[in-house]
Amino acid sequence: MTEVAPIKTPSLEGKRLSFALAEDRLAHYPEFRDFFVRTFDLDRKGLSEPGYVRAPSGNAYALIFIGRSGTPFPSGLEIYAVVDAFEPIDGDVLDRDLWSILRWMIGGVGVPWTVEDFDRTGRLYRVPAAPSG
Amino acid sequence: MTAQSESVLPATLRDRWLYSPHYANVNGWRMHYIDEGKGDPVVLLHGNPTWGFLYRDMIGPLVNSGRRVIVPDMIGFGLSEKPTREQAHCLDGHIANLTALMRQLDLKRITLVCHDWGGPTGLSFAMSNPARVRALTIMSTWAWPTPPAEFHTRVFPWRMMHAPLVGPYLLGNHGALAGRGVYLSVVDRERFARAAQAAYETVLPDPATRLLTWVWPRWIPLDENARAFKRFKWLEQKLSSSKLPTLIIWGREDEVFDAATFGGRFKRLLPHAEGPHLVTGRHFLQEDSAPEIAGLITSFLDRLDVNGGQQ
Repeated sequence: MTEVAPIKTPSLEGKRLSFALAEDRLAHYPEFRDFFVRTFDLDRKGLSEPGYVRAPSGNAYALIFIGRSGTPFPSGLEIYAVVDAFEPIDGDVLDRDLWSILRWMIGGVGVPWTVEDFDRTGRLYRVPAAPSG
Repeated sequence: MTAQSESVLPATLRDRWLYSPHYANVNGWRMHYIDEGKGDPVVLLHGNPTWGFLYRDMIGPLVNSGRRVIVPDMIGFGLSEKPTREQAHCLDGHIANLTALMRQLDLKRITLVCHDWGGPTGLSFAMSNPARVRALTIMSTWAWPTPPAEFHTRVFPWRMMHAPLVGPYLLGNHGALAGRGVYLSVVDRERFARAAQAAYETVLPDPATRLLTWVWPRWIPLDENARAFKRFKWLEQKLSSSKLPTLIIWGREDEVFDAATFGGRFKRLLPHAEGPHLVTGRHFLQEDSAPEIAGLITSFLDRLDVNGGQQ
C-alpha cells in the first residue's frame, strides 16, 4: 500500500500534468512541511524543480511546491499526475495512487502520525482505497 | 440585496425547503439567506458543514410564534458563495460577514441562535454589537481557547482528517464531512439518511466547494500559538461579563461537545443562563429535536416579552 518512492525527473515528452490535489497550508502541522523539505532537499533546491514520486499504478506524480511571502517555504503543494497528453485519467487509479502517496507521507512524517491511524480514518469515512481492517 | 423567487435546489429537495432565497453582498461575498415572518428577529446560525437547511423544521414554529426568522448560509456553505482559496477564510472575516448582513438588514432586538461555528461567529458579533442583540441561544459549540474538547487533540480521527493534503483528499475529494460525518453525528441515522443527508451533500457537489469543511477544523485552537487563540480568549472574557438573557440547549447524546463539559462550562460562564436543557441529539441536535428546540426558544422569548426583556 505504500509502494511510493521519490524518482528522478521523468521524461515529459508527450505527457501532460493532470491536476490531482492541492494543499494551501502545508505547515498547518509543521512536521508535514518538514517531511517534504527533508525528502526533496528543498532548503537547497527551493523552487528550481518539482519533486517526483512513482505510485503503485506505475504513474509518476509531480509535486509542485508553492511559495508564499511571509511563510516558510514551501507554504503549499500541488500534486499532478504525469499522464499521456491526450488520455483522460482513470479516476479510480488516481484515487488509489493519491491514497498511497498520502499514506507514504504519513509514514514519513512519523509519530504521532501513523499509517494505522490514517487507515482507520479512511475506513471510518469509507474511502474505497482504505484497506479493510 | 436581491431576492429570487425560484429555488436553486434540485426538485427532490424543494418540498423540504420552501423558502424564497435572498442574497446580500457582505464583506465582498455573496451571502444567501432566508427572511420569513414579522416581529423581533431570530437569527439562526449554522456551522460546519451544514447550511440553513439544518433549521428547516424550526423556522415555521418560530415564525408562527410571531417572530421574523433570518437564516444566513455562512460564506463557503449552503447556497452562499464558496471561495476556493484557504486564505479567503478566517474567523474574524466570518464575524465581519455576519456583521455586514445584520447591519444591511438593520436588525435590532436580535435573538441569536448559535450552533457549532455559528457559536464563535455569532457570539463574537453579539459581544461587539450589544446594542443590536436582545438574547442568545447556545447549542453544541464553544467559546474559549484551547482545547475545545479532548476529541480535538487526538490524531484519530480529528487531526488526521484535516491534516495537510489529507483534508483536501478526505473532506474535499471524498466529501467525508457533509456525508458520513454528519450521518455519524445524529441519533436517528436512518431517518437522516432518508430525509436530509442529500441536502447537505447536494450543496457541496465538488471538492473545491467543500474547502471550508477542512479549513474550519484548522481554525480550532489547540495551543496558545494558534491563529484564533486571542480571539477566543477575548470572546470568553467578553461573555464572562455579559448579562444578555441566554438559553442553553444541548444534545443528550453529544459525545464530542458533551453536555456535561460544554453545557456546564457555558453555564459557569453565563450563570444567569437558562438550562442546559437536554434534548435528543448528538452534535447536529436540530436533526433529531427541531420542534422541541423551537418550543424551548419560543417559550424562552415569550417569558422575556412578559418580563420586559429580563431573564
